Amino acid sequence: MGFSTLLDIMGSILIGGILLTTTWRLSDAATEKTYNGSGELSLQQNLVATAQILENDFRKIGFCENWNKIPDPTKAILSADLSSLKFLTDVDSDGDVDSITYYLGPTSELYMTPNPRDRMLYRVVNNEAPGGSNLGVTQFFMIYYDALGDTIPLPITITGEITSIEINVTVENVAAYDTSYSSAYWKQIRMVARNLKNR
Amino acid sequence: MSGKASLLVVAGFSMLFLIISQNFGSVSNRAVDNLVEYQTETIAHNIAVSGANLAANQVYFDNTWNAGYSDIPFQGGKLNVTMVEIDPYQDLHEVTSTGTYNGYTSTVKVKMAPSKFSKFAYFSIYEGGSIWWTKNDTVWGPFHTQDYIRCYRHPVFYGKTTTKRRLKYYTSKSKDKPRLYGGFEKGVNLPLPANGLDKAKLAAQDDGLYFNGADTVYITMDRDSIKYRYSYNSPDTALHLSSVAPNGVIFANNSVVRLKGVVSGQYSIACSGAGSNGRIYLDDDIVFDKDPRIDPTSIDLLGIISENEVLITDNPPNHSDINIHAAIYAGKGGFGSENYSSRPVSGNINLLGGITQHTRRAVGTFNSGGIASGFSKRYKYDERLMLASPPYFPGTGNYEIVSWFE
Repeated sequence: MGFSTLLDIMGSILIGGILLTTTWRLSDAATEKTYNGSGELSLQQNLVATAQILENDFRKIGFCENWNKIPDPTKAILSADLSSLKFLTDVDSDGDVDSITYYLGPTSELYMTPNPRDRMLYRVVNNEAPGGSNLGVTQFFMIYYDALGDTIPLPITITGEITSIEINVTVENVAAYDTSYSSAYWKQIRMVARNLKNR
Repeated sequence: MSGKASLLVVAGFSMLFLIISQNFGSVSNRAVDNLVEYQTETIAHNIAVSGANLAANQVYFDNTWNAGYSDIPFQGGKLNVTMVEIDPYQDLHEVTSTGTYNGYTSTVKVKMAPSKFSKFAYFSIYEGGSIWWTKNDTVWGPFHTQDYIRCYRHPVFYGKTTTKRRLKYYTSKSKDKPRLYGGFEKGVNLPLPANGLDKAKLAAQDDGLYFNGADTVYITMDRDSIKYRYSYNSPDTALHLSSVAPNGVIFANNSVVRLKGVVSGQYSIACSGAGSNGRIYLDDDIVFDKDPRIDPTSIDLLGIISENEVLITDNPPNHSDINIHAAIYAGKGGFGSENYSSRPVSGNINLLGGITQHTRRAVGTFNSGGIASGFSKRYKYDERLMLASPPYFPGTGNYEIVSWFE
């Protein structure tokens, strides 16, 4: 075994070491990237799903297939607060008046998820038990406007004053690589439930 | 040998990078697709809403419109609208608007029903020039005027409030802004029809009770009967309303009606005529047999429909309160009290119903000490009028949106 062979072995060890380190770092980076990328994807899917459900329900405030059952839709909002709203609608278009309540649960409720800020956004139809899935909502609040476009201060005592609603939702990953949570934000600047303007 | 090994290493790493980048690319694409899908659905929905608005606008200008739209290009998508009658008895129509965009479809359904003036708690064409709605005024139920809504220190409107013109503040918006608890729209044009009593007249001639050629008809409603006479001192003639006016319409042509009594059932009492005719005087209380506030099963309804004025008579029975349960319509005049500025202080007008009038009239005068002559107002809206209407009560000639599904 000559000097050149020794050199070959040392060179091989060096190159092999570099390749090994690269592979190891690549694996780590790929894991982080994959985790974050998938997290972003699920985050955005959660946000769109939340937005679609909210839009679908809020647009139907005061709607009933049998319109005689809500003759005065301006009375369809039963209560309204910063992060909760209760209103009358017809969920399945069967002609019966239903109520839907939206409200945000406390952060302590989701202590099992790594994200300390996520909360349950509850959607309760009539008197059903509150339920749902954790979509990583960290913020859900509404601003209410009167018929002249002015903000209605909270607490709102006469809900008939509400003619449009600004809806704000922030969603974060429920878990993230190295606790660097991604977030996405959706805002409906003026949600006008058309039935509130009927009659 | 080492050359082959290097090739294998390079190929292996290339493959690894390809798989990883493909995975990253796929995640990014799906995230974008997710938002694009939401955007596409939103555009399809907006197209459908636009179609429904276009159709509602067409119906506003021509209430016989039912042509619809077929495959109209709109916002890069397609718009289809149909208009069908879904209930001939109630004259209920439904607009179905479909928006299509990039393979997504969204549907909006709008139900429309004929609109009647009886649904208004308060309606006027002309507000009397300098009469202001003040902090002491509360209107329950739908409100419309073709005039300005003049506001002084936050009057309260609980129903949908509309005006053809706009709000006017006595000093400023912050000091006078009304409390609008049922929504507000300006630029809504809703005139009174010139022939508002025609349908009631035809109905009375056909299957109701029709008075013609009398200067004055004194009418006392006696639950499901009517007593009438043509002069103050003559005896009453009594008739059972189910036999003489099965459709519930009592009409005095070119005459004056003097009205009082108790109503059981659903009736409209109308009076036409020019000049001093076409007036209905309320000689005493005219109330329901069953007050719906006490008995919610009550189906009693009354329309008091005059071509000109509806006035509270200046007589002793009306000098200490008057109770009125009716939807009032004064096509060319207004609802007021006779001799409002010279009659004695007469208590309250306790109205359950609504007022539709051409011109706002006074019912009394007041000074710093309170009421100086005439009445104080205690008007309460009869919420049943949102759905029910006295027989042949004048219609607006238009449809109104009663349900909007999207």
